[in-house]
Amino acid sequence: MSAEIEELLKRYQNYPNVVGIIVLDPFAIPIKTTMDYTLTVHYAALISTLTFKAAKMVTNLDSSNELVNLRMRTLNHEVIVVPSESYIIIVIQKPGT
Amino acid sequence: MSKASHKAMEEVVARNTDNTNRIMEQAQGYVVSENSTDSLLHTSFDLTTAQGVIKHLNSSFLRLAQSCVRDLDPADHLCFIRIKTRKHEFLVSPEEEFTVTVQF
Repeated sequence: MSAEIEELLKRYQNYPNVVGIIVLDPFAIPIKTTMDYTLTVHYAALISTLTFKAAKMVTNLDSSNELVNLRMRTLNHEVIVVPSESYIIIVIQKPGT
Repeated sequence: MSKASHKAMEEVVARNTDNTNRIMEQAQGYVVSENSTDSLLHTSFDLTTAQGVIKHLNSSFLRLAQSCVRDLDPADHLCFIRIKTRKHEFLVSPEEEFTVTVQF
């Protein structure tokens, strides 16, 4: 599994707009990151709560539905979160356009 | 909402009908809710679905997302959220006074 993660990281890091990549385990503990530690932990805590709430909300609205992807566009960045069973991937990128 | 702001909103809606029609060709529906009272302003869905969307998505989840963004960087604020699920995708655009949610 960690080979997969390494490959993912390498692939995403090559995009010019990417500011950072964080991979969390299902307990929201960072297992891989390309940013400094304090910022990573900050992101991990906030984004994991948010993702959990989003997944819950989606099943609330329609019980057969499931969260696949969450993209948040803010003024300075775009944060893309992909939750899955064994990890949560967070990618922070500068908006390209 | 006061009568004056209601009229202003009607004008905005009238001005943007072209855009709305373009979006509605692709979308399943939209919901516009007011930020301060979390009340329904406009929707193309039936009332129950729309109210459900507002209650779960627009008010509670959006507030949490906004506070997360501001926690990470106080100068930043949330412009847009895309929530992709297996069946649909929700595009949420929060503004100062109201929030527009489109379901694809």
